[in-house]
This record gives sequence, structure tokens and C-alpha cells, in this order.
Amino acid sequence: MLRLTDVGYRYAGYARQVLHDIDLTLADGEIVGLVGANEAGKSTLCLVASGLAPGSIGGALSGRLEIDGEDMAGKPLHEFATRVGIAFQNPATQLSGITGSVFEEVALGPMNLGLPARETVDRVKAALAALGIESLAEREPRRLSGGQGQLVVIASLLAMRPRHLVLDEPTAQLDPEGTRLVGEALRQLAKAGTAMLLVEHKTDLLDALTSRVAVVADGTLVADGPSPDILEDPRLDAWGVEPPSRIRLGRAIAAAGMDPARVPA
Amino acid sequence: MLVLATSAGVVRPLVRASVLLSLPITISVVLVSVFTRAGTTVLFTIGPFDATLEGVEFAAQTLVRLFAISASIGLFVLTTDPRALVLDLERRGVSPRFAFVAAATIEAVPTLVERAATISESQRARGLDTEGGVVARLRGLLPIVGPVVITSLTDVEERSLALESRAFSRPGARHLLWAMPDTGWERILRWLLAAVLLALIVARIVGVPLPVID
Repeated sequence: MLRLTDVGYRYAGYARQVLHDIDLTLADGEIVGLVGANEAGKSTLCLVASGLAPGSIGGALSGRLEIDGEDMAGKPLHEFATRVGIAFQNPATQLSGITGSVFEEVALGPMNLGLPARETVDRVKAALAALGIESLAEREPRRLSGGQGQLVVIASLLAMRPRHLVLDEPTAQLDPEGTRLVGEALRQLAKAGTAMLLVEHKTDLLDALTSRVAVVADGTLVADGPSPDILEDPRLDAWGVEPPSRIRLGRAIAAAGMDPARVPA
Repeated sequence: MLVLATSAGVVRPLVRASVLLSLPITISVVLVSVFTRAGTTVLFTIGPFDATLEGVEFAAQTLVRLFAISASIGLFVLTTDPRALVLDLERRGVSPRFAFVAAATIEAVPTLVERAATISESQRARGLDTEGGVVARLRGLLPIVGPVVITSLTDVEERSLALESRAFSRPGARHLLWAMPDTGWERILRWLLAAVLLALIVARIVGVPLPVID
């Protein structure tokens, strides 16, 4: 379980607080969607939840971050690595840039953990298989498409076997098939007990995948509840979030004077 | 060196790379040595400068040395996979952080070249003149260099975050998955080369006369 209690955050060198009084809990096996307009504070919240803020980038954190009941204040960054994995939206900057093959790239994290070579190999194979990208193993990471690169990034995280994943728009560069693959992999991980915070503008994906959705606006958590309730909330547009297509379609049908329930699927 | 380059099949790229590497210094060495070196045999005169035979000899001697240095570097670069080098260094005890920095530096070059090409194309699409005369090219350089530097810095920050999330800062040794093949002959050759180098240094210090390329 990952829990943020009364969390506030200010970037180093800035006077303005970008997160205020955030209370958010990710239970084991739960996928929580996080939505909000651009600049609302979603990515900052991801950095805080993964320990990178302030651990790597500095800044001032108030409140408390607990992982599996342990207060993470003052813990070295490498201790976060096996507990929380984080993926950003641009695969090009997440790949190490020093490996000659996808296999080596995915192996980098487990090697950093000092695992025996046999276990590293097993983890890499399992991570590639989980995303169905075994065929990319020998490819040069720099030559991958955006979608393939993102799948490799996620595989690299899976190989670390963290209990929690923070994913900041992981499907932003994926085609529908890539998005489906990632969605399926995340679902399997959740079944195995991994807790996930999934930042997405694709609310259709959140509609299909998440049990809970939280909304951030101006650095504050303005809503947090079961996905169907939040994604149907009429305030969603005002928060800068586009509702899922089924909701928009239903509203369009209703606006046309028809009963959505009576429209054939 | 020629034997090694031939056996590796890199003679032509090696000559090209060595010439390109030493060209800027070659030009200045030739100009400075030929026209400013004092000598008794004047070959020809340009304005106040005399080109002397002694200057030509000195320039030739310097250029041979320069070419030998650049060819050595070129041969090393052309025949060594940088990733394999870094991996082997780490296997021999170099810290993973140093190994990463070395590898990232080497690997950054093609990435920067690609990025510069992409930015150049997009700037051209917006009307920037990057072709034509020297002045036009120089004027077109700034709008390319700026974005290349800034995006590179941003990328470095994001990459460091991604690496941290993969336990990059964890202290302690790593179990590497690969080891470079290292035959007995290669080991003997390495020790032999080291011994020859040591002998040459000692000979130089104690003043044993050595053959000199003149």
C-alpha cells in the first residue's frame, strides 16, 4: 500500500507551492486513475509518490509518504526503486542510452540491484513476455518506434518487480494495439497485487481499467471516488478533463432528445 | 599499425579519419613551420615570409608524429565497440557510475547529431536559411544550437530520474551478464606491449639511444 497524507510540495528555487494537502491511498492490487488539466500538478504528484521529489530533484515536501506502512522520509533513492517504479511519457528520455539491445536495457535495473545473473535473465524474459515484446529483445533501443520504446520502458520497470507503479501518461505515444497491450499487462499486474497510479488523458482507458479515479486541479485533489462516479461527474469538463466516449455519446443522445438506454448498442 | 588496420579491414576509413582528425592542426603546423622556421636554404618567398627547407623538414616530422597519434586513436575507435569497452572496464573494477558516464558520453554523439538534424529540418521548414554562403550558414547556426543544447539538458534531467527509478544510485557491485572473450594469446600480447612500453620509458630515462624517425 502506498499512502500520501497531507502532502504539499514546492519545487527548489520556487516560492509557489504546487501541491496542497494531498491525501491519496493506493491499496494493493488497485489501479487508481489520476486526471486533471495540464499544469494541474499530476506529474509533480507522480514524482512525489515515487520519491524522486524531493529525493532526486530537491524541493520542499511537507506531509507524509508511506509505503507498506513504512515512513519513507529520508530513505535513499535506491530503496524506492524496488518499491515504486515510475514511467514518464517520453520513452526516448527514459531509455538509458548506453545499451545495445532491448534485452540489455531491461536488464539494467535488475543488474543495478546486484541480482545474480541468472535471476536478472529470468526477470528480463518474464518482463518481455508480459508485454508480448520478446521479438524486440535483440533490437537496438535507439531504433525503436515511440510505442515500442514505451513498452520497453514499462518492461524495464516490471523487471524491477516493484509493488507499486506510478505511470505518467504511459500510453501517450502508443497506437491502439500498444495501448491495449499495456492495459492488459497492467491488469495482470494488478491481479498479482501491484498497486498503480495511472495518469491518463485517455479516459476511455481509465474507464476500462481503473476502480478509482482522482482529479487534481491547481495542485489540490478535488475529487476521489469510484471510477464510474468520477468519470460521469458533470464537473469533469470544468476540471479540464474530457469524459470517456461512452459518457459523451450518452450525453449527445440525451441532448438529441433520445433515451440513451433505448439506443441499440 | 598498417598490419593491424589491414587485418581489421579498416584501412580506408582509418586513413580518412586520421587525415580529418589531424587536418586542422596540419594546416597551422605547415603554415607556422614552413614560413617561420629559421633556415639557410630558402625555397621561395611570399611577401615578408621565407619558406625554408628546414621548415619543411620540421613540418614533415611533426606531421608524421601527428598522423601516428591520430591513426592510433582512429584505429582504437574503429576497432573497439564502446559498449564492450565500458562493460569490460566495469568487469575489471571501474565503478558503474564512471562506466555509465563514459558510455553515455560516447553514445551521446550520434544522438546529438540526429537531434541537430531534426531541429535543423524543422527550422528550415519554418524558413530558416541553413544553406548557401558562410555568413548564411553561421546565421542559421544559432537557432539550431540553442534548441539542441536546451533539449539535451532537459533530456538529461528526465533520464537521470528514469535511471534513479532503476536503482542506478544503489551502492555495491553489479553482476554483469556478459564478459568479453579474452584468449591466452591476447593476454600475452597485452603484457608484451606493456613490457615494451615500460622498456622504452626506462631506455629514455637512462639515455639509451633509440632509433628516431627523422
